[in-house]
Amino acid sequence: MSIKVKNVSYTYSEGMAYEVHALKDVNLEIPDGQFVGLIGHTGSGKSTLIQHLNGLLRATEGKIYFNGKDIYGDKYPMRELRSKVGLVFQYPEYQLFETDVLKDVCFGPRNLGYSQKEAEEKAKRALRMVGMGEEYDSSSPFELSGGQKRRVAIAGVLAMDPEVLILDEPTAGLDPRGRDEILDQISYLKRERGITVILVSHSMEDVARYVDRLIVMNQGQVRFDGTPKEVFRHYRELEEIGLAAPQVTYLMQELKEKGARVDTDATTVEEAADAIAAWLGGQEQL
Amino acid sequence: MIRDITLGQYYPAKSVLHELDPRVKLAATLIFVVSLFVAKGPVGYALATVFLGIVIRLSKVPFRFMTKGLKSIVMLLMITVVFNLFLLDGDVVFWHFGFLRITDRGIRTAVMVGIRLIYLILGSSVMTLTTTPNDLTDGLEKLLSPLKKIHVPVHDMSMMMSIALRFIPILLEETDKIMKAQIARGADFESGNLIQKAKAMIPLLVPLFFSALRRAMDLALAMEARCYHGGEGRTKMKPLKYESKDRTAYAVIWIYLAAMIVIGYGRQIYGWIPFI
Repeated sequence: MSIKVKNVSYTYSEGMAYEVHALKDVNLEIPDGQFVGLIGHTGSGKSTLIQHLNGLLRATEGKIYFNGKDIYGDKYPMRELRSKVGLVFQYPEYQLFETDVLKDVCFGPRNLGYSQKEAEEKAKRALRMVGMGEEYDSSSPFELSGGQKRRVAIAGVLAMDPEVLILDEPTAGLDPRGRDEILDQISYLKRERGITVILVSHSMEDVARYVDRLIVMNQGQVRFDGTPKEVFRHYRELEEIGLAAPQVTYLMQELKEKGARVDTDATTVEEAADAIAAWLGGQEQL
Repeated sequence: MIRDITLGQYYPAKSVLHELDPRVKLAATLIFVVSLFVAKGPVGYALATVFLGIVIRLSKVPFRFMTKGLKSIVMLLMITVVFNLFLLDGDVVFWHFGFLRITDRGIRTAVMVGIRLIYLILGSSVMTLTTTPNDLTDGLEKLLSPLKKIHVPVHDMSMMMSIALRFIPILLEETDKIMKAQIARGADFESGNLIQKAKAMIPLLVPLFFSALRRAMDLALAMEARCYHGGEGRTKMKPLKYESKDRTAYAVIWIYLAAMIVIGYGRQIYGWIPFI
C-alpha cells in the first residue's frame, strides 16, 4: 500500500509559447501512514505534483502507481482513486456551494454512491473530527468565519474516508491561531486514523513540527528528501532556492560557530531549548 | 480544457502590430469586417486571404493560437454552412431530395459564408491577441468620445468593458480550480443526460458566482478607496498619440478596402475589374 511516482514529467501548454515544464523526472515513494511535508517555492511544481497523485492531471511522461497498480492503466477506476486519495485544494472554502454545512459535506460521499443516511453519518463524523460542532450542521456555509469554512471544506474531503489525505497550503491566509488549530487537527487526524498525510507548504516552520519526512521541490525537481533534521542540515542550499530553514536552525548554527557545543539538529523551539539547556548544564558540570 | 479559450486573451510578443495604436487596430478590424462583406468572387477573397495572412504573420502570434478561437464557433459555422448548402435555390441543381437540394448558388454561398465567418473570427482574434485589454478599451473610449456630446456614458462603458475583459482569464482560472476541487470530491461533469449534466453544474456555478460577486465587491471598494468617481475631469497617464507607423497602417487598411470595393463592385461602377 503506497504511492509510487516514477519518472514523472509534466508540461503545461505543450508546444505553446507559454510552455512550462512544471515537473521534470520526479521519482518518489510514499509508504502507508507517513506524514510527509512537501515544500517548495511558488512555482516549484508542488501543486502540480499533488494533482497527479489523484489523477486530476495526467503526466506527460512517466507512471504513477497507487497500491501497486498503474493509475494510467486501462479501466483503472479513477473515481475510486479520487476517493482514496483525498485532495484539499488551496483556499478550499471557495468550493462550498450547498445550502447548509451538512449537505455540503455529504456531497463527496453521495458522489461515491453512498445512501443519504450513510453519507450523513460520514459527514457528521468528519465534521466532528475537524472540530465543527452539531450546532453548525444546519447553518449556511457562507455565514461561517474563514477558518470554519476551511474546516468544513476539509471535512468535505475527509467524509470520503480517504487513505491518503493531501492538503495544499491548508494554513494560507489564516491567522497564527487558526493556523495552529488546523495543523494540530491534521496531526490529530493522522494519529487517530493512521492515514497517510501529505502537507504542502512553503513554510518550514509550519511543517517541521509535524512531519516525519520532508520533500523539497525546486524548479520541478525533487531537491531534498529526508527527515526534517537531515533536510535542514542543507540550510545554505535551501536559502539558495528561496526557502529558509526554521529560525532555530540558524540560532543553533550561529551558537555553534561562536563555539557552543550544541546539537544543531534541533528543528523546533522546544528541541532547541533542550539542546541549549543540555549544553549549559554540561558546562556547569565542568 | 477551459484554458484554451483565446477570445479576449492577450498574447505578449514584440511585433509591429503590438506596437500600433489601439485605435488603428480597432478601426482596421472594423474595416476588415466591412471588406469581407463587400468582397465578391474569388479575387476578392484571395486578396482578403493574402491580407489576413500577412497580418497574422506580422503579429508574431503562433497560428495555432488563433485557430483555437475558431473552436467556439464550430457549431455556428456548421449550421450556417449546412443551411446555405441545402436550402438555397439556384440555376443548376446538382442533387435534390424533398425540399433539400444542392445548387451552384448554394455551394457558392455556403463557401462564401464559411470563409467570411472564419476570417471574421481570425481578424478579431488578431486584434485581441495583439492588444492588451487596457489598450483596447482606451482606444474604444477615445474613438467613441464624440458620443459624449449626446450624453452617452462612454467612459463608464469602457471602464465596465475593461473590467469585464480583465476578469475573463481570472474567472476561467477560477472555474478550472473549482472544477478540479469538485472532481476531487467525486463530482462528474461529463456523463449523464442533459438534465443530469445541468444539475452537475450547480457545485461549479454557485461557488463561481459567489466568488465573482466577492471580487466585484472588493474591486468596488478598492476603486472607491482611490476616489474613483467616473470619467469627469479624468486625465490619462499615457494619452494615446498617433505616430508615423499608425498613419502608415491607416493608409494600408484604407487602400486595402478601396481595392476590395473596386474588385467587388468594379463591374457595376465602371463596367470593368482591373487586373482581370
